[in-house]
Amino acid sequence: MLDRPINTNRIKQMSRNKILSLAEAVKRYSWDGMQYASGAALPVGSDAVVFGRELLRQQRRHLHALFHCNTQQLNLLAAAGAVDKAECGFSGLEVFGFANGLRRAVESGQLALEDYSNLSFNLRLLAGAMNWPFAPATVNIGSDIQWRSAFAPDEQPAKHKIPTVTDPFSGREVGALSPLQPDVAAIHVSLADPLGNAIMLGTEWSRFELSRAAKKVVLIADAIVDTACMRQFPNLVRIPDIIVEAVVYWPLAAWPQSSPGFYDVDEAHMKAMNKALASAEGTAEYIKRYVEGYSDIDSYLDMIGRDTVEQLSQTETAFLLDPFRKWIKTPDEIAALSAGENP
Amino acid sequence: MSTSLDYTRQEMMAIATGRELRDDDLAIFGVGLSMLAGYFAQACHAPNIRTMTEGGVYGATPVGGLPWGIECNRISSNATSFTNAIDALGFLVASGRCDVGIIGAAQVDKFGNVNTTGIWDGDGTIGDTYRLPKTRLTGAGGANDIACGAGRVIIMVTHEAKRFADKVSYISSPGYLDGGNARERHGFVGGGPSAIVTTLGIMRPDPQTKEFVLDAWYPFSSIEEIRANTGWDLKVSSNAHVVPEPTAEELAALRRVDETGMLRKK
Repeated sequence: MLDRPINTNRIKQMSRNKILSLAEAVKRYSWDGMQYASGAALPVGSDAVVFGRELLRQQRRHLHALFHCNTQQLNLLAAAGAVDKAECGFSGLEVFGFANGLRRAVESGQLALEDYSNLSFNLRLLAGAMNWPFAPATVNIGSDIQWRSAFAPDEQPAKHKIPTVTDPFSGREVGALSPLQPDVAAIHVSLADPLGNAIMLGTEWSRFELSRAAKKVVLIADAIVDTACMRQFPNLVRIPDIIVEAVVYWPLAAWPQSSPGFYDVDEAHMKAMNKALASAEGTAEYIKRYVEGYSDIDSYLDMIGRDTVEQLSQTETAFLLDPFRKWIKTPDEIAALSAGENP
Repeated sequence: MSTSLDYTRQEMMAIATGRELRDDDLAIFGVGLSMLAGYFAQACHAPNIRTMTEGGVYGATPVGGLPWGIECNRISSNATSFTNAIDALGFLVASGRCDVGIIGAAQVDKFGNVNTTGIWDGDGTIGDTYRLPKTRLTGAGGANDIACGAGRVIIMVTHEAKRFADKVSYISSPGYLDGGNARERHGFVGGGPSAIVTTLGIMRPDPQTKEFVLDAWYPFSSIEEIRANTGWDLKVSSNAHVVPEPTAEELAALRRVDETGMLRKK
């Protein structure tokens, strides 16, 4: 372990403390009509769900959502009518079933949902990160994903979704996937330091590519650690501070979804939430109780229920966090860092 | 059920699917019951199977019952490697390295094309423009990528007439498209679906036409019942036979994996 003190005088300190409150981060880094991506955008696991709750609290509208997969966040934003367009590789909730809020918005025509697959969506992020004109697709071709476009419903076959191009080497016809460069990505991570270095436990899904494709990146971290933690495990730091605008500390940020090492999926709330989002009335009640029902981290944890928090934290994956525990900062230490939110 | 062991149709489907997997296969399992079938094979007859989920979760076996997703903590507490989607679905599946994948379906047709995107009212087709679905489903997820790239694909689906269409409303994941050598037009590295395993029996593609024909029924089902629940004029293979019922060892292995009894729900 790296226990010797680091001579910080010899490390050029270009980085700055980027810790912001959730409300301030949403205020600064979101606006109506933006192309908004969330990471990891997994339906049951990692996602910046609490960032979506705050988008609703600040009444953001007409979002163009770029979600690798649907999550309870997109389900909620769609149910609330905050999303006009969405692009996804998968649009359900895995074993929790169809996403009722998203489904209702799509079936009513309120939201246009453009379909890709889980690999092609990721390749579009890669193309965006590389600033490539397109990525060649050997998947999605020959299926209706290629030829049907919810964004250009009258074009059949769609000309601009996954047009066919010829491989100049073999002459084979492949698809061309358009690059994605979201205006802002809110990325849920397990651990972040105040500078914006991040470690993700569990599958990274597409967060590596998303963090490079997005024009701005805001991290939402379940825990804040000292930078010494990053220096101990630099190979695990797949999102470095140099591409990060802000760091938000928020425990159980992915709730009711899960975060390996920290907490399991809240099965009861996953089901109750999805049931509520199936109707406009249920959605209004849900928003009143679970979007407007807290004012800070403490009241957010009260809202979930302290017993539930305790129970969800008894996860079989808790040992994954063991190597990092000694660097985790207390809420008081984090509060001291975020005092006076630097401009 | 007139058989000696007490098991459900869903358990028979999962065991029949698992029997399609071979020891040492590099295998990818879709979300849900596919995962139970796959990990059953590993727990039973294929201990050396190399498994992964599309999240890039390697070396893991589920703990505590059916994982809620490919990334669920139930599949994340004993992994040897976590990577990412491009690695699993790209480097290992789109590349052609993956031997076999198991996927589910809301609707499947006689050429093994899968719809998981939507149900359209009227004549069941979308039409010449992108008409809104009556019921929006989950989209393709990783199944399209597995259907294009895996060496062979097993489609696991509950056998109901409404799910077995002459032609799916929307091809979310390609089977043999319009049959014959249609896959070659697109140069797919994967071989296409090798079996549709259902709650009533097993269908396999005709080597030339690629139309799925009935290959086997279960001890509790019959050719007539299967044909009555299939939305096209299902042909019966000249070698059609009855599938051996689950052994006690198979059922025990499956139930160890299916700890929460997802396959025993009626």
